[in-house]
Amino acid sequence: MSGFYMQLFLYLNVFLMGALTAVAIRHAYAHFRPHVAEAEKHPVTMQNGHLPPAVREHLLEAAQANFQTVLDRSAKELSQDLEKTSAQINKLLEKHGTDVINDDLQHYRSRLAELQKQTEAGMSKLQAGLSTHQAELDAEFIAHQAEQKAKLAEEIAAEKQRLLQQIDTQLADAVGSFLLDTLQHNVDLGAQATYLTSMLDEHKADFTRGLADEAKTSK
Amino acid sequence: MKLKLASSISSPQDLQALISEIRNYARWYGHNAIKLRLHAKTKRHGGQAEPELSPAAKEVLAGWGKHDELTRRELDSLINELERFARTAQEITITLAAPASNSIKQILVAWCRDNIAPDILVNFQFNATILGGLVVRYRSRIFDWSFRRQILEARGQFPEVLRHV
Repeated sequence: MSGFYMQLFLYLNVFLMGALTAVAIRHAYAHFRPHVAEAEKHPVTMQNGHLPPAVREHLLEAAQANFQTVLDRSAKELSQDLEKTSAQINKLLEKHGTDVINDDLQHYRSRLAELQKQTEAGMSKLQAGLSTHQAELDAEFIAHQAEQKAKLAEEIAAEKQRLLQQIDTQLADAVGSFLLDTLQHNVDLGAQATYLTSMLDEHKADFTRGLADEAKTSK
Repeated sequence: MKLKLASSISSPQDLQALISEIRNYARWYGHNAIKLRLHAKTKRHGGQAEPELSPAAKEVLAGWGKHDELTRRELDSLINELERFARTAQEITITLAAPASNSIKQILVAWCRDNIAPDILVNFQFNATILGGLVVRYRSRIFDWSFRRQILEARGQFPEVLRHV
């Protein structure tokens, strides 16, 4: 329904525009060709009949002078108006350009500030992450270092103990061999008589028990 | 009658020597008894002289007889008892660092007979490598109380002792 009214409205507009265009062309034509028509309607021969040539010449010169004056003044005013308009246009353009640039700059600055904030936030986050990671690495390094130190100390202690054990063993072997080689010469049993009986007395219980056990097992 | 061995009879070898000595004496005693009976009839003297007995044999013979004079039967019973004793007696072996003197032997045999068994026999051996002390072996059991054993057992303590020197 609304489409129908819209079409009707458009057709009406077209019609009015055509009528207005025809009227405008007629007026324009009448405006630009008035003298030709007047000249055709009132031939010179009729004016020549009412005004003398001198007056007519004088009027023509005066009209030309007036027309020239009006034309000059109009040109001058047009030139002045054109200059003013140009100045205003320049001023407006400059103002408009300045406003546009200011707006762009403002927008750019706000955008830049936002990006800077985002970057700072990212940098802060990254810095925090880096700090955390650095702390973790430091803690891990310290733990690893402590572990390595403990392990190294343990290995050193074990190696030291092994070397000490080896030295003790070799020393014991050397002393034992020395004693065995030295004492097996010039054995004096006479000096050992008391020692022998005291040793038998000392081990008497084990000795008699061992003999009894052996006698039982032999039976 | 109870057999009582002198401390000088310590080893089976000593016991066998004693048995051999007693057996010779018994043989002589038998011969001499026959001769004495013959001489009593013929009034003649002669015959083999009495064998020299060791102090240990004399001690055994003195302790064995019921009377002052031994009879041939008592001597035979003594020999039988000694042989039975040689078969049944306990026997240990003591190893020393040097050949044992008689005094050492008597001390050790006396200790064994006082503390272990009165009829025990002791063999003596020597081995210089044990350095000192003694090693006692009874059948398959060995009691090592030698210096060598003590040194080897205390070998681990030498470094500790040397550290404190």
